[in-house]
Amino acid sequence: MNGLIAIPTLQELLNYIVGILTSRTFLEMIIFPGFLNIMLGAAFLVWLERKLIARVQLRIGPLYAGMWGILQPVADGVKLLFKEMIFPELADKKVLILGALALMMLAVAPVVPIPFGEGFVIADMNIGLLYVFAVISLFPTVILLIGWGSNSKYSLLGGLRSMFQQVAYEVPMWLSVLGIVMLTGTLNLTEIVKAQQKVWFIVPEVLGFAVFFTAILAELERIPFDLPEAETELVMGWMTELSGVAFMVGFLAMYTKVYVMSALMTALFLGGWSGPSVIPQPVWFLAKTFLVASVMVIIRGTFPRVRVDILLKAAWGRLLLLALANVFVTAGLIWLGLGGIWKV
Amino acid sequence: MPDPIFLVLSAVVVVSAIAALEARELIYGAVGLAFSLIGVAGIFLLLGEEYLAMFQIAVYVGAVVVLIMFTIMLVRRDSGRPAEEEEPGRLGRAGAFVAGLIALAIAAAMYLVIPYSAEMPILSEISLHDLGRTLASGYALALVILGLLIGATAVGALTLAKIEPEEERGGAA
Amino acid sequence: MEPLSSYLVLSSVLMGIGIYGLVSKRNAIRLLFSVELIVNAANINFAAFARFSNPPIMSGVLIVFYSIAAAAMEAAVGLALILVAFRLNGTIDVRRLNRLKG
Repeated sequence: MNGLIAIPTLQELLNYIVGILTSRTFLEMIIFPGFLNIMLGAAFLVWLERKLIARVQLRIGPLYAGMWGILQPVADGVKLLFKEMIFPELADKKVLILGALALMMLAVAPVVPIPFGEGFVIADMNIGLLYVFAVISLFPTVILLIGWGSNSKYSLLGGLRSMFQQVAYEVPMWLSVLGIVMLTGTLNLTEIVKAQQKVWFIVPEVLGFAVFFTAILAELERIPFDLPEAETELVMGWMTELSGVAFMVGFLAMYTKVYVMSALMTALFLGGWSGPSVIPQPVWFLAKTFLVASVMVIIRGTFPRVRVDILLKAAWGRLLLLALANVFVTAGLIWLGLGGIWKV
Repeated sequence: MPDPIFLVLSAVVVVSAIAALEARELIYGAVGLAFSLIGVAGIFLLLGEEYLAMFQIAVYVGAVVVLIMFTIMLVRRDSGRPAEEEEPGRLGRAGAFVAGLIALAIAAAMYLVIPYSAEMPILSEISLHDLGRTLASGYALALVILGLLIGATAVGALTLAKIEPEEERGGAA
Repeated sequence: MEPLSSYLVLSSVLMGIGIYGLVSKRNAIRLLFSVELIVNAANINFAAFARFSNPPIMSGVLIVFYSIAAAAMEAAVGLALILVAFRLNGTIDVRRLNRLKG
């Protein structure tokens, strides 16, 4: 058998590692549009949400930490870092901590194929859209684990409700982007953005955008779909028993999800980095992303919570049918010969 | 030299599979199964079938594992664990022996029969378009049957798991 | 690149683990785990052979799609059966679920 493993020399190993560390992909992964970008974006979103919600509710919001309270997320983070992690006695500490970490990893993962500018993409995947949806479908697993591992009624109920909601709203989410895939014939997010240079996809796909936006709101567990978190009923839902660093990671994961999903929506429907080239492309992308996130925040301040039976009926009944209707509308558009506008 | 990525992935698959079966808590077993299935998706990626890998993650890990975990949470007796797993008895040892024999036989056959130099041909991409076209044209009947099968199993599973109203009334009385 | 035999060895090892689980476990849900492992082993096998042929066989990949979908459905029905069995018997130990009636 000639299957001997050749052990690389130390020199080769060091060269290999240095090669990886200085490669463009790695730098992109860490700085932009990767880790640093997401962390700053999520922290900024925490501040943005609290300020905007405050204004909607005729308050002022964070004021004291730095100018306009911009350092409020930092203050929160530092406070949570110094808190003791208290878990219930019978709760499974490993599952809770690892679950929070897994949640953060899954929240960051969808950013890989999203293009923040021409060439500013970590990995230009040919199946980028499918990869994003596959990662999103992993959320319910982790949430169920955290809810069960907390060994507390509130958490378990919250986890189950959250799982039901997220699994139910995945289906309209998948179907609503079918129209875009039909128009461009590719799952590559860079190609999808490039196809929108003349007309953004929100124009022919209004229905799809509406369904996608609603489904994303439900996936992110934001009001009006925040039943799993129902602050007046379930304390904090499945995150009840997390504390200290674990809570900070879980909390940040929630806002990271908002940021990444807003970026996805920008890439899919709002033309990505298209815009007059006076301003560089990534700035356009970020501006549109924060616009979408602000709309989500303002919706939070405006709508009441959806009842649980309406929640599931809406997902499986109405939204599904609307997404299918969107597919038919797109098919009609292509049949009428208008599909050429978006042909890459 | 065996590809290190392949070694790592197959280690993940095998170790998680064993952990899934031998873990004391069922939920840990489900987590082990999830890792094993993600490892299998990685193997599909190594084989150059990215679409298949994403499908595996989305369907298996995203849906089946969730179903399994949910069921595990529902079948708990008041004491906690539904069935005690003891040391594998006679049957367990015999099972391990038979399984090991089968695996060893197949592995030996692989090394002896298939020439070792059966390298992977240059990755000619199975493009998404070809896949879709084949599915829609050549295998359309299979697709329709799959759809009907999915519908039938969904209805069947729901009917099975439904709590009959007579049961509830009987329990309350 | 990895030769074909490595993938087949992995597939057979996974199959061995699945068969071991199927034969020696008493918990119905662990049996379901084992069945899923066996199905995955077969899927790896299909995918490896489909890729290593020249030109790559399309139907091998499509069979794996089909198999993943069918296995998901079978898991759903199997879990529903386990739920019903638990409700009627209070246990999911397969050594005690050996009566056909009620």
